[in-house]
Amino acid sequence: MIRSGDTALYWRAQRERNRGLLGLFAVVAAFLALYAYLFPGLLTVAGISKFAQSWLPLALVAMAQAILMLTGGISLAIGATVSLGAVIAATTMTGYLGVAGGVVAVSAAGLAIGALCGVIAIRLRLPAIIVTLAAAFIIAGLALLILPRPGGAIPGWFSDLLAGNTPAALFILIFIALLWKLYLATPLGLSLYAAGENPVGAYRAGVPVDAARIAAYAISGLLSTLAGLFIAAQTGSGDPVIGQAFTLNSIAAAVLGGVGFLGGRGTMRGAIAGSLLLSVMINVMFFLGFSPVAQYVAQGLIIIGAVALPQITARFRRTR
Amino acid sequence: MSEPQSSRFPAWSPRSLLRNRAFLTVLIVALVWIVAGFAKPGFGSYGHLRYLLELAAVIGLVAIGQTYVVIAGGIDLSVGAIVTVSAVGVPLVALSGDSSGVLAVLIILAAATSIGFLNGLGVAYLRIHPMIMTLAMATFLQGVLILIAGGTAISAQNPVLAWLGNARVLGIPAGVLLWAVVSAAALAVLHATPFGARLFALGANPLASALSGINVQATTMAVYAVSGLTAGLAGVLILGMNGQGYVGIGDPYLLASIAAVVLGGTSILGGSGSYAGTIPGAVLLVTITALITVVNASAGWRSILFGSLVLLLLLLSGRESQRR
Repeated sequence: MIRSGDTALYWRAQRERNRGLLGLFAVVAAFLALYAYLFPGLLTVAGISKFAQSWLPLALVAMAQAILMLTGGISLAIGATVSLGAVIAATTMTGYLGVAGGVVAVSAAGLAIGALCGVIAIRLRLPAIIVTLAAAFIIAGLALLILPRPGGAIPGWFSDLLAGNTPAALFILIFIALLWKLYLATPLGLSLYAAGENPVGAYRAGVPVDAARIAAYAISGLLSTLAGLFIAAQTGSGDPVIGQAFTLNSIAAAVLGGVGFLGGRGTMRGAIAGSLLLSVMINVMFFLGFSPVAQYVAQGLIIIGAVALPQITARFRRTR
Repeated sequence: MSEPQSSRFPAWSPRSLLRNRAFLTVLIVALVWIVAGFAKPGFGSYGHLRYLLELAAVIGLVAIGQTYVVIAGGIDLSVGAIVTVSAVGVPLVALSGDSSGVLAVLIILAAATSIGFLNGLGVAYLRIHPMIMTLAMATFLQGVLILIAGGTAISAQNPVLAWLGNARVLGIPAGVLLWAVVSAAALAVLHATPFGARLFALGANPLASALSGINVQATTMAVYAVSGLTAGLAGVLILGMNGQGYVGIGDPYLLASIAAVVLGGTSILGGSGSYAGTIPGAVLLVTITALITVVNASAGWRSILFGSLVLLLLLLSGRESQRR
């Protein structure tokens, strides 16, 4: 915990962390400006609402992936978990559980599945990448059992509340970012970076490494199913394979945001900025009338460029 | 290199044999085949087992490159896309003067190798994490594929491919034969050449290998090029077996190749393992899939069964050593 006398140190540490992200923030700002220039409607409440709605699912999965990567883990099951969240939402909310019950069911499923993955990967000492790969099959199968083909329904008022002409998505995102700040102040949150950066050292120093990691998996599962819930609200129904693309996009967003694969490196604001960059990029290319082909090609090139640029500039700085 | 070599292949004794993960995987495969053969008439027939081997050959070929890359401390998420590119690409590069089709296959294999080489270039010189580099490459290739193939299936009129997909040499499918030959070469390169030794060193500790004079960049580019080549070979083989290629044909092989590598006992963290384990790993995956098909379950249950079985097998063979 930070004592009041340490605020100067706190801000110096924050400045140090932000410095690596300045380039990313600049690129994101440039893309946002370009988008607003191409599509002036963005700068209205409706425009911001629509944009936040297209961004929120990606931001949520980027956070879900980033929290795992901070502890030195990774999940290839994020996409399947998003699908599962969507089908649970679409099958429970119009039933006797109601909307509130549906939200609880979706959250509980996310927490339970994430925690289970975490326990298997960490307690049984199996590599996370392959545990979550197998989990992706199991979770995708569960989603197919619950809803074999697209269907189900979300109450209209709930869809309008989340994905109508209200900036609810933006508020949800800000709210979750604030919750993240709070989490970092709890014992488990504090252990997060330590468990990722130097697990052996942290363990010796009395940090609950395993608990911090399993909690990270649970939170990651929760964020993923919530992304699925939001997508279901957007489309008004559930689709058992809708989440597929999110696995790789979540990794791309987190890495664009400067989160390292080996744990302990990176910030959540970076991951959110990374997801924003991906999201704006897709929107801008759509508005410029790029064909889907060119979109794929450009997306590949931009990801490589954005990840390589800091490396190259760092090398120049070193040789100079 | 003699020290880790001898520990990887210890002297023959019953105890050490049971610790050998490659051998354990073979044991599991044999057990599954015997039990399934008794439980389900027809499963153990020669024709069916031969068919399973043919399917395993494709996974096995993709998994050669994946094993190399994983041992060297990386991962290749673009193999599925490369398989598709080569399966769809062969008919496109068929030249009029090339009646045998050999040239088209060679051009495609060269193209697949250069795609892998580009992956290596990004990982080695731009210092992009392998997962991101190969993922971006897959995205990029997906765009290129839609451009060249669209949504239609492309059929191949290629004598070499037709032979590769259908011929039986002394009763053995040509594809399985190809797999056997390439596997032998892959094992020899991995365990009996300086290049193979460098892969283990690189995966175990990149900094130490750089300081001991290994050309890390060149080795990295070579290993991803090998991965591109074997994925290209797999694409050619699957086109021969299928008769036609379409966008998405290679997608299942990405996850299958990673699963085969890990089931075969190669550490996903790099530095240890062998292709000798990946071979039974590939056969095991195909066998599991066939068993699940026999059970006649719905798509959801099939997926759950597959994931659970992989997880279970992992518990038997894939535990990482404790790190504290």
